[in-house]
Amino acid sequence: MSSDTDPIVDPGTSGTTPVEHATDARTPLLEIDDLRVGVKGDNVAYDIVRGVSLSLYDNEILAVVGESGCGKSLTALSVLALHQSPPLHITGGAIRYRGVDLTTLSAAEMRALRGAEISMIFQDPMSALDPMFTVGSLLTSAVRAHRKASKAEARNAALEALADAGIEDPRRRFDEYPFQLSGGVSQRVMIALALVNDPSVIIADEPTTALDVTVQAQILERLRMLKEERKMGIMLITHNLGVVAAVADRTAVMYLGEVVETGSAQDVLAVPHHPYTNGLLAAVPRLNSKVADLKPVMGRVPQPQEITAGCAFRDRCERALDRCATEHPVLAPRHRTSVRCHNPVD
Amino acid sequence: MTAILKRVALTLVLLFASSFAVFAAIRLSGGDVTAARLPASATAADRELFLQQVGLDQPIVRQYFTYLGNMFRGDLGNSLTNNASISALAVDKMRNSLILGAAALVLVFAIGIPLGLVAALRRNSWVDTGITSFSVAGMAIPNFWLALILIYIFAIQFQVLPAAGQGGWRYLVLPSVVLAAEGVALTVRMTRSAVLDTLGNDFVRTLRAAGLSNRRIYLKHVLRNSLLPIVSLAGLRVGQIVGYALVVEVIFGWPGVGQTLVNAVLRRDYPVVQFFALVLVVVVTLGNLAASIGYTLVNPRLRK
Repeated sequence: MSSDTDPIVDPGTSGTTPVEHATDARTPLLEIDDLRVGVKGDNVAYDIVRGVSLSLYDNEILAVVGESGCGKSLTALSVLALHQSPPLHITGGAIRYRGVDLTTLSAAEMRALRGAEISMIFQDPMSALDPMFTVGSLLTSAVRAHRKASKAEARNAALEALADAGIEDPRRRFDEYPFQLSGGVSQRVMIALALVNDPSVIIADEPTTALDVTVQAQILERLRMLKEERKMGIMLITHNLGVVAAVADRTAVMYLGEVVETGSAQDVLAVPHHPYTNGLLAAVPRLNSKVADLKPVMGRVPQPQEITAGCAFRDRCERALDRCATEHPVLAPRHRTSVRCHNPVD
Repeated sequence: MTAILKRVALTLVLLFASSFAVFAAIRLSGGDVTAARLPASATAADRELFLQQVGLDQPIVRQYFTYLGNMFRGDLGNSLTNNASISALAVDKMRNSLILGAAALVLVFAIGIPLGLVAALRRNSWVDTGITSFSVAGMAIPNFWLALILIYIFAIQFQVLPAAGQGGWRYLVLPSVVLAAEGVALTVRMTRSAVLDTLGNDFVRTLRAAGLSNRRIYLKHVLRNSLLPIVSLAGLRVGQIVGYALVVEVIFGWPGVGQTLVNAVLRRDYPVVQFFALVLVVVVTLGNLAASIGYTLVNPRLRK
């Protein structure tokens, strides 16, 4: 599951035993560094993503988990500058891909990168595919957006991507329109679209949320296979802890625009240290528990405009201390994970 | 396919119904048929005789069936005013109107769609404001007034275009622009809102994420998706052009169906009115039929 089993050792760190935290010594494929994304309007200005740092390595699935509105999707979208701008703008920090800061790229450079180096898969596959064009035409357009390819070459690349995405009958699907596809097949087409130019990174924004449970499992399994076969880095945005447990190597829990806990998926799920992570896990139904045992996380998420000094979670936190109201906690290592909390759970 | 056949059958029914409506309306609208042909000094007996000769003394339903029967035999009848054969008249007038109408229709889409697209892509900029104001003006200005203004500017002040009549393409410019004005304005607005609608769709983001250029996304994907509402209302544009042709052809002295029809109505020349009004009905119906077929062709859901 985790990078412990990763046989690839970066030459710069050769000799290091790849145990937990050792991943930090390798060069990440994608590094989000203190990213801030916010609304900047005529008389409003506040950040929604407030200093997020994440590293994605090759051959790993990083799950970014959090509830609606925590800024996880916005973080993902801003990597490829796909956030709605205006009113949203990157207001600080850097996003480095193989050492290049993507926030400084021109529109043309960013376009060349999209799909070819970093791809994205979106939530609702039925509305995310252009209804007026066939699957094949969509895929071949994507191929030709990045390289000169003859009709036959583009077609072959498209058919291959469809097969890699786990589609049974690529030739038939090639000539079909999105409305002829089921949700699961549509999502596979999205995956094929993400794969067709052979990128190193895929960012999947809630890729299974709109799908049936059985299809969800197949899609996740496909992502896991791609990671292993192609040594890709996959950033998986989700609100579903079950998804994290099923496929993630590492995870980052986000709350209100910040990463509050991060570590290997196993560690974070087994021994959460942040009260929020802890609360989320207590709210997950289990087969051997009664509904009455489910503990919702109390209170509501504040609006980004309401954020004041101190810990953003304190109003909902049972373990809040006095200093939580004044002093903003930093993300600090604790046992096997890193936690942003003054009074972590042990 | 069955949808198209059903549509064709419905069209035939509509044609019969409207031919009767025109037939009855012109007869029930009063006015003296005999005045155009007979001198003012003609006696009541003379007028009676004339009505008998042209069959207008018969009951209206019988007249209608005689008219239908003749039409199916290819006999469109003669003008009551100068006894000229309508079939001889028809070809020329129809060709003239077709040239004018087609030019206007091309202008409607060739100007309206690009302007609407640009306004949507540059929304809330001065370009958008300019285009939108222009289209509001296009809808608000009555076309007879626009015609007079354009004649004043281009034919009288600058003398670069002829004011009226028919000849080379220069004669076509002013009437076709006037005829197209409102259609252009409506098409601009419709395209603008359709494009804005389409831009809000998730698939646009997917195409961006796949690395397609904006140019390709807008001109191929967004435009294609935005065309549906425009194509589906293209039939209305045809109807509009046909309706306005009556006014515009008279103002610009364009010898087409519209002008002929207006003159015939003023003279109560029943056979001429019947034929040319029916021509307009056919054109409008065919326009709508073509629009539905076009809609089916551009929409993959209906095509499959």
